[in-house]
Amino acid sequence: MIRSKGRKRLLTAVALASGLTLLATGCGSSGDDGDQGTASKGDGVLTVWAGSQTPIVANFNPYAPTVLHAALGGVYETLFYYNKASAEAPTPMLGESFEFNEDGTELTVKIREGVTWNDGKPFTAEDVVWSFSNETSKPEYLASAEVVDPTTVKLTFTGPQFTNEFALLGASWMVPQHVWKDVPDPVTFANEAPVGTGPYTVASTSDASYTMAANADYWGGAPAVEKVQYLGIDANTSAESLLKTGKVDWAGMFVADPDGLTADGRLGYINTPQDPTVLYTCANVEAGCAGAQTDVAVRQALNVAIDRGVINEKAFVGLAGEISPTFALLGRDDKWISPDVEKVSPQEANAAEAGKILEAAGYTKGGDGIYEKDGKKVELTLTSVEGWSDYNAAAELIAAQAKAAGIGVTASTVTWDEFSDSRQTGSFELIMGGVVGTSVADPFQIYRDWFSGEYTQPVGTQLESGEWNFSRYSNPTVDAAVNAAAATNDEAAKKDAYATIQTEITRDLPYIPLVINATQTFFDQKDFTGWPTEDNLYAFPPSWGSVSAGVVLSTIKPAE
Amino acid sequence: MKYYARRLTFYVITLWAAISLNFFIPRLMPGNAEDIFRAKMARKGELTPAMEKSIQLLFGSDDQSSLWDQYLRYWNNLLHGDLGTSITKFPAPVSELIGQALPWTIVLVGLATVLSFVIGISLGAWVGWRRGTWVDGVIPASTLLQSVPYFWLALILIAVFSVNLAWFPIIGGYDTFMFPDGPVPTWEFFSSAVYHGFLPALTIVLSSVGGWLLGMRNMMVSTLSEDYITTAEAKGLRPFRILTTYATRNAALPSLAGFSVSLGFVVAGSIVMEQVFTYPGVGKLMINAVQDKDFALMQGVFLVITVTVLAANFLMDLLYGFIDPRARHNG
Repeated sequence: MIRSKGRKRLLTAVALASGLTLLATGCGSSGDDGDQGTASKGDGVLTVWAGSQTPIVANFNPYAPTVLHAALGGVYETLFYYNKASAEAPTPMLGESFEFNEDGTELTVKIREGVTWNDGKPFTAEDVVWSFSNETSKPEYLASAEVVDPTTVKLTFTGPQFTNEFALLGASWMVPQHVWKDVPDPVTFANEAPVGTGPYTVASTSDASYTMAANADYWGGAPAVEKVQYLGIDANTSAESLLKTGKVDWAGMFVADPDGLTADGRLGYINTPQDPTVLYTCANVEAGCAGAQTDVAVRQALNVAIDRGVINEKAFVGLAGEISPTFALLGRDDKWISPDVEKVSPQEANAAEAGKILEAAGYTKGGDGIYEKDGKKVELTLTSVEGWSDYNAAAELIAAQAKAAGIGVTASTVTWDEFSDSRQTGSFELIMGGVVGTSVADPFQIYRDWFSGEYTQPVGTQLESGEWNFSRYSNPTVDAAVNAAAATNDEAAKKDAYATIQTEITRDLPYIPLVINATQTFFDQKDFTGWPTEDNLYAFPPSWGSVSAGVVLSTIKPAE
Repeated sequence: MKYYARRLTFYVITLWAAISLNFFIPRLMPGNAEDIFRAKMARKGELTPAMEKSIQLLFGSDDQSSLWDQYLRYWNNLLHGDLGTSITKFPAPVSELIGQALPWTIVLVGLATVLSFVIGISLGAWVGWRRGTWVDGVIPASTLLQSVPYFWLALILIAVFSVNLAWFPIIGGYDTFMFPDGPVPTWEFFSSAVYHGFLPALTIVLSSVGGWLLGMRNMMVSTLSEDYITTAEAKGLRPFRILTTYATRNAALPSLAGFSVSLGFVVAGSIVMEQVFTYPGVGKLMINAVQDKDFALMQGVFLVITVTVLAANFLMDLLYGFIDPRARHNG
């Protein structure tokens, strides 16, 4: 034991030393960082959050599921750019023009000349052929891809592929054959120094961020923003704080109070609702569904009993958009909506009409206010994923609104695993979930993937990859119309087919439409100009869009 | 000698059982890893057909060999230091991910735990010594801090000190703008790391010091009623000497045992702290792995935690035998 006097002195000395060290490092660092508001990030560097979380692992392989955001659009490009937010024609990128043959089994594409990969080698038609026909990316329906001449490529298919125009021209990444033919396993390849045609190249990566540098030889002209740094952030609240304090310049995320962030004028804001939120119902008795929701009258009654205005205001903070029961995106897809069906889902509750629908179908109101038929009450379970607070709140509101109309709905939350499992196997009554919005101004993909009887399985069997028809809905009229629409590029014929489909689905309601989910984007309009705004929506704005992010990055400039 | 030999055997057997359990438990969990992965990707952005294919390829190579073969292969890989490849952080090897995260966790959380223990014990000793005076008011204050949900405390501190006053950074283990290439062994990096670690460490200390304080104070009060304390006072020893050399040394023994356990769990990281501060560490590896059914990463993290807790327990057992003669003779 140290003598008490010596110990006292030692303790004091240690305390002083550690205190001074902490003070020194604290003061020293803050001195370096300077003004927390704007410096501590180099001028002219665009700081982006696209949703990555730490630790960031360098993976710029466009075929890998864990690819980093900047690779898609920033480094690799597609032949054309399809603007998700508008109905305009696709913008030529690496392709200049394209043409289908009469029956859609051949697609001829003219490619842009004078493009080079970022390692200096020229971009050729052989690269395009390789990008379509290599093992990892080759679609099932592709019969062959061949070079017709140095600027033309012809793709031949096994059947008409009009409806896969976007998948081929807007979502297939152009990769260099001279790099990829020597890669032993394209899926596990980390591709840390990616060779692409895009406006940016990879400058550095760390576990907390990665930085992209402008590609001076980009075919569209060297981008004006020299460096773009993508951060890894784990919590949405942190991202909000960083946006507020000026550390992040571009982010697409849900913020309940956007006015709080835009108050000081640095941040611009745009909301481009895209993806429908619906109630999946297990609708088909023949496929094995059970429950009161298998009766179309119950679904129709529920549809009019819901108060979408209140749900938007209370659960989605007023940021969601109105939905059309035709699943065509209002505004963008208006031309495809048949005049014979309801264009917009009712925004107010109508309990009386719900009652009428049920009574016409033979239901009678019981003593407790809930309708019943043959002794069975109309009682349904509604699940939503725990933690998705907007959905959870909406589910509670629906339960209350349904009860007022005489339908018993019990809302509960489940884990994501249970949610996924139940919708894949069809063992559910009602689930609140999303529908994947289409990337083109055409609702076909939703009709085929979500309503077609060929894209589903009986209850108890998991859906296969690419099948999204959780409701098990199977209607021969719809299936025939879907097939007819797939085989033609004639607008009038497609409108006819869609009109048939819309008549069926707005009556049968296998998915009860609720709202269109908000897609919010915040961007630094003070330090950078050229962002997509409501007046000039040249690209889908969020930082996590793939091809669209590349288009935005090559368009914005530092402010003068 | 026999005491130590017996403890050693016990720990070796526990280690074997823990590692085997580590192998079996993830395989008993429900949920299809591939679906979760696919949906996670679809939520992040658009899922191209090429990605779908690569997801299938990634998971499609599902092991058809028997459980026993997998188990043996697991042990073989373990002894070669190969913990597998992470699915969610593809294609980083698990050992690399853990190796990157572990130093941050050990330094920050370890330091914070030690600090919180030292502060808690000293304050608890003082509060127990001065029982019956105004000092007793410290206890409800510290237990209040302890019972406040950790993330709430962290968010309040961030809102006040990082966002409004801008005294501390909002996220990160180090300044990503100054060091875009990652950690470098320079003095600037070290000072940046200390600066970024201050607020997370503060929140850990604030939220856990109450527990140590309360435990120590109670032990102190009961120790002070012992006869040898009365004897020491009667013999005229200075109060400070009695407090430190006689009372605290004996009262701290149970807390030390608890401390060893919490030291072992330091490597589990502090999940909420890492989430709120986007701080690099082992906790977020674990939570992501569990949520996304990343078996290799899950097993790797659990292994590290298990081995460290066992090692810490073992060391503490030895230490206990050394510092407390009663355990040595009776154990």
